[in-house]
Amino acid sequence: MEQGNYQICSRCVMDTTAQEITFDENGVCSFCHFFDEKIKPDWHRDKSGYQKLQKIVKKIKDYGKNKEYDCIIGISGGVDSSYLTYFAKKILGLRPLVFHVDGGWNSELAVKNIENLIKKLDIDLFTYVVDWEEMRDLQLAFFKSGVANQDVPQDHAFFAMLYKYATQYNIKYVLTGGNLATESILPASWGYNAMDLKHLKAVHKCFGQVKLKTFPTVNFFQYYFYYPYIKGMVIVRPLNYIPYVKSEAMQFLEKEVGWRYYGCKHGESRFTNFFQTYFLPVRFGYDKRKAHLSSLILAGQMTRDEALKELQRPLCDEKAIEEEKIFVSKKLGITVDKFETFLTMPKKTFKDYPSNYRLLQLLRLISDIKRQVRYKWLK
Amino acid sequence: MLKNRVIPCLLLQNQGLVKTIRFKEPKYVGDPINAIRIFNEKEVDELIFLDIIASKVGRSPNFEILQNIVGECFMPLCYGGGISRLEDIQKIFSLGVEKISINSFALKNIDFIKQASEIFGSQSIVVTIDVKKNFLEKYKVYDHTRNKITDIDPVEFAITTQEMGAGEILLNSVDRDGTQGGYDIDLITKITNVLSIPVIAMGGAGKIDDFVDAVKKGNASAVAAGSMFVFHGKHRAVLITYPEYQELEKRLV
Ligand SMILES: [Zn+2]
Repeated sequence: MEQGNYQICSRCVMDTTAQEITFDENGVCSFCHFFDEKIKPDWHRDKSGYQKLQKIVKKIKDYGKNKEYDCIIGISGGVDSSYLTYFAKKILGLRPLVFHVDGGWNSELAVKNIENLIKKLDIDLFTYVVDWEEMRDLQLAFFKSGVANQDVPQDHAFFAMLYKYATQYNIKYVLTGGNLATESILPASWGYNAMDLKHLKAVHKCFGQVKLKTFPTVNFFQYYFYYPYIKGMVIVRPLNYIPYVKSEAMQFLEKEVGWRYYGCKHGESRFTNFFQTYFLPVRFGYDKRKAHLSSLILAGQMTRDEALKELQRPLCDEKAIEEEKIFVSKKLGITVDKFETFLTMPKKTFKDYPSNYRLLQLLRLISDIKRQVRYKWLK
Repeated sequence: MLKNRVIPCLLLQNQGLVKTIRFKEPKYVGDPINAIRIFNEKEVDELIFLDIIASKVGRSPNFEILQNIVGECFMPLCYGGGISRLEDIQKIFSLGVEKISINSFALKNIDFIKQASEIFGSQSIVVTIDVKKNFLEKYKVYDHTRNKITDIDPVEFAITTQEMGAGEILLNSVDRDGTQGGYDIDLITKITNVLSIPVIAMGGAGKIDDFVDAVKKGNASAVAAGSMFVFHGKHRAVLITYPEYQELEKRLV
């Protein structure tokens, strides 16, 4: 972003820190237009949405007859997946197996939230703990690579394992807390597809030292072909069919299951929290709150003025983040000084390393068509 | 502080934490630093940390890991594993560890307990005794470095360690380890009946009732548990938990 060319959308709060952003003559950004044209027409949070969801639920229940579980839910201890779990079990009457991937960054709040949730709801929990030495080495490799998408190792392991267990335990339906109310906007320039194994391996090959023997991975073929078409796995995002309001969900969970909110200091994953409130804004100038708040504006859950006010607040408590920096460095097995160099080293993008980017672009074209078909099927 | 301490016990294998069943099938449960951070925030009174490989392969404690652990740990820590020299103990204490535990080396050289307790004080020297029933269903001391049941009688051995100056006994049942089916109350009672020093019961805890039994029926001064604090449910999902303080207070009066 060049000085002087700064612009912020007149409708949401996305700005030119997202390189791909363009504006129309009224100053409305391309994310807003994308939302209006591609997302909104298919997004029904009213009665019709709920009816659609009921149809899907019936399919899941039919499929799950005589099975111990009819669906699997990946949980982090955060609000979306926690609420989804409550919603699936108590409201939809599903019998989910809850699956958690421990990437080595769980906060006490995250594990306590998971504990409270599964105990109160009487749900079975299954976990996979990623080998920390491998995780550490991979995360360090990503820092050394200079790219923005430092969340790749965590995200990749999470989904790789979720899909693997779903198929291993013969559970076809994967429910996720992903939702358009809070995530309809996510600039591609701020990160890169965490599921691109070619990219992950390339970065690790350049900067890694420990062999990845047990680190969970999912390759291109598995992700785009084997799981959906051979195994018939279906990803369902139930929160997209209801008027999901995050703040209300939080209050509800606090009351019902003794859930606790992680403030600025503790994230559900201490790494993600540190990465999003410190590393990404400081090094790249990306403030993920802008995308989140803009999503809320487009979902009609916040006014633009409220969002702007929210953005005025500091991203995090400075003292707390200094402590976190020491902790993160220690966990990664490096000095704080070494970590500081990651903040200032030349910026790189995923394009500086091998990836499946081109293949993915091609696939996006196909998947657009695929999505249309799937929506029809779900209707 | 509770009248009877309730102590999580973490097992270190190389760089990571594991949990065993009857000293076998080590299952990886994560990174020690993170586990300790979580226990910190749960305001646990005390922590036991055992390196289960060091003595087996005949090496000294991993001081680097130990230093990292101590740096994160806000509660008193008891460390065990690979201790066979007074210098090691000195170094461990200098890192900020409150207590050390001697296990297999006590079987080789009981005088070491005497030397250690004379120099560093009894209150900081714990002896861990692993007990397993032999084929005649008799309690015997188990030597994990040789995977062998010895001929040593645990009651006599416990008395000897007390005479040598041990300040506390960590009494572990190999047969109950990781089973979560309850402590071996019979074994605990046998030992507490003859000792004047505190005994920490370990091996088999699965619920708070088990703590109560160990304390009330077995007269243990403290209880330690592994699986109960790291596993949850029938899938043995890895999830660090610790009972609510009030709950413990209520049950362990
Ligand atoms: Zn906009």
